[in-house]
Amino acid sequence: MVEKRSLVFATLATIVWAVSISSLAAYFYLQNATYSEQIAENQQSLNTMAVNYNEAMTKRNTLLSEYSMLYGNYSFPLGTNFTLLTKLFNILMDNLKGNYSYLLMNQKDLNETYHALLNQTITINQKGNVTREEFGELLNEFYELFNLLAIRELSRIISETVTLTASICIIYENGTEKWHNKTSIPTGSSLFQLTQKIAKVNYTYSAWMKPGHIRLTAINDETEYTEYKTGYSEGRAWIWYYWDDNKQEWLSGPVGCDAWMLKDEDIYKWNFEYWRWP
Amino acid sequence: MKLQHSNTRKLALLSVLAALCLAIQLTPRPPNVEFTSFFTFIVGLIYGALNGAFFGCFVMFVNGFLSPYGFSGLNMPFQMVGMAITGILGGVYKSHISERDNSARFCIEAAILGAFSALIFDLITNAGVSFSYILAGMDPILALLTAVAYGTFFSIIHISSNTTVFGVLTLPSIKALDNLIGGGELWLRKDHSYLQH
Repeated sequence: MVEKRSLVFATLATIVWAVSISSLAAYFYLQNATYSEQIAENQQSLNTMAVNYNEAMTKRNTLLSEYSMLYGNYSFPLGTNFTLLTKLFNILMDNLKGNYSYLLMNQKDLNETYHALLNQTITINQKGNVTREEFGELLNEFYELFNLLAIRELSRIISETVTLTASICIIYENGTEKWHNKTSIPTGSSLFQLTQKIAKVNYTYSAWMKPGHIRLTAINDETEYTEYKTGYSEGRAWIWYYWDDNKQEWLSGPVGCDAWMLKDEDIYKWNFEYWRWP
Repeated sequence: MKLQHSNTRKLALLSVLAALCLAIQLTPRPPNVEFTSFFTFIVGLIYGALNGAFFGCFVMFVNGFLSPYGFSGLNMPFQMVGMAITGILGGVYKSHISERDNSARFCIEAAILGAFSALIFDLITNAGVSFSYILAGMDPILALLTAVAYGTFFSIIHISSNTTVFGVLTLPSIKALDNLIGGGELWLRKDHSYLQH
């Protein structure tokens, strides 16, 4: 006959086993429930993204059709009255504003580009007689802005589901390096938006500079300057670089910081760089 | 005079064991692999349930401030109670040991008690963790289940390591301490030859 003490220890061992296995089962059950919930949420996000994508494409195609019609009239200018076409262009501009009002309200750089184009249109309209070249320039500017808006719109749709991270370094005049590693930012953000997020910036809008019209003049109160000397001038300005993973080196930014779209895990630096001319 | 010597010896041993526990607690080690419950159990086994419980409480109290995993805060009282139960288990086991027991049986029983004490300790400390979930607004039963479920892997490590440590180290430690204190305590006065069968 089994003695009582052995039974007690056998019971204790069974309790330990039973509770451990039950906890393990509870753990897997909770994990399963959590994952199921996450999958359902992700599915919902994907569905929403698909709907938003369809809407964005519809908007883009409608505007593109209107633009195409106007461009057709511009391209075959037999007896075309460009002054009359600018009225149609104004309608196109209104439609652009109506369709991308959210982006134009929330993204400063796009807003400034839109208003610069609007001002240019008003100036040309006020002049009266619109030339082919002037109208062609308006169309080019519009197409650039339209493409940028369409890209930002798609990025905004993706950003509702995906967030990216980027690292950025600011190198000041005294050589101090300030790193902001793995900064989270919505997909579709530009380097300008990332810089705005991690530092206090001042900037100017340059219409002649493109792609991208924003030039940073100060980061965290370190302002660019120019000194005029006899026969030459020198100074410092904020220049941006990106890290090229394939070449394993820093490359100078080829466009304005507001036109450069971020990718996940990108690395950037702003350098307060010395220049001299000539 | 003899009683005074005995008390001094007891106090010295408890101090050394407490210091040893804390030193091991502060040493880098895998999570939930610990020796405090083993020493607490030994203290309970040698000096009785009350001393074991006090020893466990004291070590967990100090550990709560010095632990490399950070200040235990709200969970500290739960850790103290959990460890006190381990000391009490040692004391209770002491009263059930028979002179007829052999080494193998003693080791197996110690291993089971090690596993059981780890389980009780983990359940109590998980209840402590769930308390913070409840304060954050979670339903109490769900909070407890969540804390227990998500602590399962740590609990399994704890139970496995305690089973091994108790099963392997209890017997040699008892013998070493018996030699050290000269059989001054109750059950150590017995003939230990039965433990070597």
